[in-house]
Amino acid sequence: MDRNSSIGGMEGQLRSPSQEVENKDEEKVQDPDREKDELKADMGSKTWADLAGEMKIFLWNPEERTCLGRTAKSWGLILLFYFIFYTCLAGMFAFCLYVMLLTLSPYTPRFRDRVSPPGVMIRPYLNGFTIAFNVSQPNTWQPYVDSMHHFLAAYDDKLQEEKNIECVPGQYFIQGGNDSEEKKACQFKRSLLQNCSGIEDPTFGYSRGQPCILLKMNRIIGYRPGAGVPVSVDCKVQKGNESHLRSVDFYPGNGTFDLMYYPYYGKFTHVNYTSPLVAMHFTDVQKNYLVPIQCRLNGKGIINDLNSDRFLGRIIFTLNIGK
Amino acid sequence: MNVGCHTSNFIHVPRSRQFGNKNFSSLMLCSLQFSVSLGMQDDHRLSTSDLEKKYGTSIDKGLSSARAAEILARDGPNALTPPKATPEIVKFLKQMIGGFSILLWIGTGFSWISFGIQLAQGVDSAFDNLYLGVVLALVVILTGIFAYYQEAKSTNIMASFSKMIPQQALVLRNAEKKEVPADQLVVGDIVEIKGGDRIPADIRLIFTQGCKVDNSSLTGESEPQSRSCDFTHENPLETRNIAFYSTTCVEGTATGIVINTGDRTIIGRIASLASGVGNEKTPIAIEIEHFVYLVAGVAISIGVLFFIISVSMRYKILDSIIFLIGIIVANVPEGLLATVTVSLSLTAKRMAKKNCLVKNLEAVETLGSTSIICSDKTGTLTQNRMTVAHLWFDNQIYSADTSEDQTTQPFDQSSPSWTALSKIVTLCNRAEFRPGQENLPIMKRVVVGDASETALLKFSEVILGDVMSIRAQNKKVAEIPFNSTNKFQLSIHETDDPHDKRFLLVMKGAPERILERCSTIMINGKEEPLDSEKAEAFQTAYMELGGMGERVLGFCHLYLPENEFPENFKFDTDSMNFPTSNLCFVGLLSMIDPPRSTVPDAVSKCRSAGIKVIMVTGDHPITAKAIAKSVGIISATSETVEDIAKRLNIPVEQVNRREATAAVVNGMELKDMSSEQLDEILREHSEIVFARTSPQQKLIIVEGCQRQGAVVAVTGDGVNDSPALKKADIGIAMGIAGSDAAKNAADMVLLDDNFASIVTGVEEGRLIFDNLKKTIAYTLTKNIAELCPFLIYIIASIPMPIGTITILFIDLGTDIIPSVALAYEKAESDIMNRRPRNKRKDRLVNEQLAVYSYLQIGIMQSVGAFVTYFTVYAEQGFLPSTLLGVRVDWESNAINDFEDSYGQQWTKYQRTYLQWTGYTAFFVSITIQQVADLIIRKTRRNSIFRQGLFRNKVIWVGIFSQIGIALILTYGLGHVTALNFTPLRFQYWFVAVPFAILIWVYDEIRKLLIRRYPGSWWDKNMYY
Repeated sequence: MDRNSSIGGMEGQLRSPSQEVENKDEEKVQDPDREKDELKADMGSKTWADLAGEMKIFLWNPEERTCLGRTAKSWGLILLFYFIFYTCLAGMFAFCLYVMLLTLSPYTPRFRDRVSPPGVMIRPYLNGFTIAFNVSQPNTWQPYVDSMHHFLAAYDDKLQEEKNIECVPGQYFIQGGNDSEEKKACQFKRSLLQNCSGIEDPTFGYSRGQPCILLKMNRIIGYRPGAGVPVSVDCKVQKGNESHLRSVDFYPGNGTFDLMYYPYYGKFTHVNYTSPLVAMHFTDVQKNYLVPIQCRLNGKGIINDLNSDRFLGRIIFTLNIGK
Repeated sequence: MNVGCHTSNFIHVPRSRQFGNKNFSSLMLCSLQFSVSLGMQDDHRLSTSDLEKKYGTSIDKGLSSARAAEILARDGPNALTPPKATPEIVKFLKQMIGGFSILLWIGTGFSWISFGIQLAQGVDSAFDNLYLGVVLALVVILTGIFAYYQEAKSTNIMASFSKMIPQQALVLRNAEKKEVPADQLVVGDIVEIKGGDRIPADIRLIFTQGCKVDNSSLTGESEPQSRSCDFTHENPLETRNIAFYSTTCVEGTATGIVINTGDRTIIGRIASLASGVGNEKTPIAIEIEHFVYLVAGVAISIGVLFFIISVSMRYKILDSIIFLIGIIVANVPEGLLATVTVSLSLTAKRMAKKNCLVKNLEAVETLGSTSIICSDKTGTLTQNRMTVAHLWFDNQIYSADTSEDQTTQPFDQSSPSWTALSKIVTLCNRAEFRPGQENLPIMKRVVVGDASETALLKFSEVILGDVMSIRAQNKKVAEIPFNSTNKFQLSIHETDDPHDKRFLLVMKGAPERILERCSTIMINGKEEPLDSEKAEAFQTAYMELGGMGERVLGFCHLYLPENEFPENFKFDTDSMNFPTSNLCFVGLLSMIDPPRSTVPDAVSKCRSAGIKVIMVTGDHPITAKAIAKSVGIISATSETVEDIAKRLNIPVEQVNRREATAAVVNGMELKDMSSEQLDEILREHSEIVFARTSPQQKLIIVEGCQRQGAVVAVTGDGVNDSPALKKADIGIAMGIAGSDAAKNAADMVLLDDNFASIVTGVEEGRLIFDNLKKTIAYTLTKNIAELCPFLIYIIASIPMPIGTITILFIDLGTDIIPSVALAYEKAESDIMNRRPRNKRKDRLVNEQLAVYSYLQIGIMQSVGAFVTYFTVYAEQGFLPSTLLGVRVDWESNAINDFEDSYGQQWTKYQRTYLQWTGYTAFFVSITIQQVADLIIRKTRRNSIFRQGLFRNKVIWVGIFSQIGIALILTYGLGHVTALNFTPLRFQYWFVAVPFAILIWVYDEIRKLLIRRYPGSWWDKNMYY
């Protein structure tokens, strides 16, 4: 309520006489108010009724026709000002982002230092890293099987043959040319996964208590894993009785990621790219027991022992297979 | 004054606030008399031998050391107990829960609660909340300790000050005279006092020789009172045989028995009484409270609003609580209160250099908002020493130099009359310099003698040189000292002319008495008969000098004829065997306690600063008015009612009181005034002098001023001033003349007793108010840039742009030194040319400041920081469009192949690390923009270029520290993951630079428009 006069009061000396007079009037007008204030201050804190009254006046002052201390015109002006101000700021924000985005390539991010070396994930993935089921109860392993089927749909042999080309194994599949050119992708047929392909055994061994788990390496644009030597996978029991994990079969080719699937060129040009997989067939695991297993990537440039990141170059999951 | 003096009143006094302060002074008088009659035994009535018996002492031998030690152990040391201080632990706890600390404790509580819940649920990241809680608690405790330390430090300054002057007393113990510290005195001790000493305890005198005491610290009467061993009055306060603790012995010597020590002395009782007057809250404390409420209000309402929003957006309650913590932490400027304290103590230090010692940090600003100063006259406005101001001889008035460091006197000294006058001045004077001061300037030398004799001695020393040798050459043969019946002083000397064997009789005294004894007058060295025309001229001169408020002395001489008074004549002062009439009148000298030379300038500064200076003095109205006129408290053109009446030749009652701008109010008149009448005087007159006032009336005047809504500064030195000093918004005690009680009651101590120092204090106070505004504006701005990330995180579900810990690093790391640096900023314009701030309207943090900082610069900063944030993510593969709505997946621990805009896949930790990079980038952007914010806050109205970018070097220290701390955090501590900083690519430091420039340019435009269009809509809404 005091706002209008608060500025005036500052530079008292500089004001013209006419303003002076005006100010005096103002002060006179406010005098009774002031005395009331003082009285209240003397009496101690204000009562709730006073506060409510003041609040009401603040919300809507019928005499000066002000709402929240401002008249309609004042509100209009201030809102207009902020509308323009924020529009300009938003414009500047948009412009800055636009300019920044212009400098970026749509196909390759400028920096890839935070995303490499690659992380690792497994399938089936339902909602955690514990795969627990009872062989005798299909409904306990059926969701895993469904997840596998769903995931491998993209690796269907026919689909792969249709969309992707056959590449030369054992070497990186480097595709030159313009960034914006569409890149070819190499075939990765699910049949390569043999016992874990789900073709012969649609239950991926779950029905026999010998589950298949697929392991995939995170995609990183331009990344060439292993520096010429294919990255391989091994698994062992994590902190526990080694004998609980007696045999694992790896497909394809002893559990390696073939070089021909790399490098990756990004989702805009490498449209049909399908990540290569390694299937791990846990053919002999201690039953009725929580078996923590760590599967690691091994290769040059792969980091698999970082304490803070338990998914970098390795993955830890638990198998609990019941009868 | 005659409020019923009942015992019951006194009993209530320590809880006196229920009585209202108006009655306080009268109560005090009553209670004083009451306590005296009850507490102070009848020692003044007892005979010496009874006293010896009563106190088990002996006048010849004193107490034995053993007995003294015994009594000392029983009664405690002879010192006033300092006013009961708040226990340190209470002070400390106050710092812990004051201000924003409560909010942060709430945040801490929430953190720990959510830690508990998450721990029970087995969430991995539960410990983050525990740490956050610990960090928040640490922040509160550390800032609390800091504030406490600052306060303790400023209290210590004061403590060391009061210990500066250890007092010694000459006491008789074991039949031996020895010096002991005054606080070792005990009841029954026999002490000796001599001129210049402070009385070390309440003393019943048993032997005196020409002893006079200055009781002004007790009663406010400045005339020295003589003391003897006789019981002269029933009331111990009035009787002559008691000397009171803390008064001074002006001249003579005395021996007495200590009858009261420490708090049981009269002064001690008054001092403990004064502590009953409550201290008002300082204006800056009110402002800071207002500011804390404002920010806390914003924090809580935004917090609750977004709590509701996040709950209704189906966030988990626990998450919502964590958001709430973030919002509170972002909203609270954790470092600000510490910054304010530092700024205030920096100013206090600066003021101490200019002789204003501030006891209470907040008083620094109070002085700046002062609108009325009630000043003492003696010693504050004046030099506190009589000085010869005018001379009259040869029918002409000459003015003398009254400045503090005079070395010559410029008036015409060629007349032979002057030679004669100077001889009288030199010879008819008993004052002497204390030996061993030859190297000191004359004005600084210590003189033994009363005030006017001292003035005359110094005056002649300045003009004639070595007075003592002149006196030696004119050997004194007889003397009659001044006494109040004669009203003259006379001495007879041999002359220094070896051929002139006549004696010279010199006399000085009250002019009219001197003139009565004269038959001739000296004009240009010749004796002329004193006819009525010449007597008329004398009268005119006497009236004129008297009208200037000066003490006038007349001088005459007579060369005694050689035949009647041969060389070996024996003068007898009792029988007066020499002539004391038909003398030759030589001239008049008038003396005044002249104003300090710096005061008129200081008063006019106050005037232009809109501060009313009111003089409150115990002196005579004429003197008071004369001094008021000469220092400008009453300006040359303004008239009092009496002046107008005299000019128009009408009775005083017919004068239109509104025409008179000045008023001289006598204490007698004040006594009969109702408070309404006093209010009217204070309101209607702009220039007021209160004369002949008692210290008690000072309190009434202060209360009157406060009723006008003024912020009142009061100066005082006596013990009886302490209630007024306490009552005033800022009490200023005199460092040299002030009593300990006054210093205790005051908020500030003037080390040089000089009024001009108050004015420099006012200037500093106003400057710090302006600069605190700037500091707060600077600090508040980035709170929005810290808050926006949370709000957008909740609403748009983007990865968290900035972490709670990071926010604390801004608030308590990079921003601290810059915000203190603003305290060093010079004033933008002449701050002494504007009126004192109106404490009701000119708030420290007003709506404009908050709105401009929050909604304009703060938003700009947020936008700039968000541009950096989006840049960092985009260059790593997450385009802005991808980020929207990803929060749940982004924060999922299970998703370790999170796909970015380019098809790459991220583990959780990789994302988190990127998120920390985002924090760092956001942090760096805010820091960079805070540099711009710091620069724009240097001024509120003027262009930065006018203020000068490099004038305040500390600002640059601030900027470099800010950037330095940011560099250390990002690169030095970037590998300590707990702090959530990561090394940042160099280019990201520059993303926000365009926005920093925008902030600067925008603010320059704002200031330009404010200057161009004063009073416009823009000015009203944009000037803070």
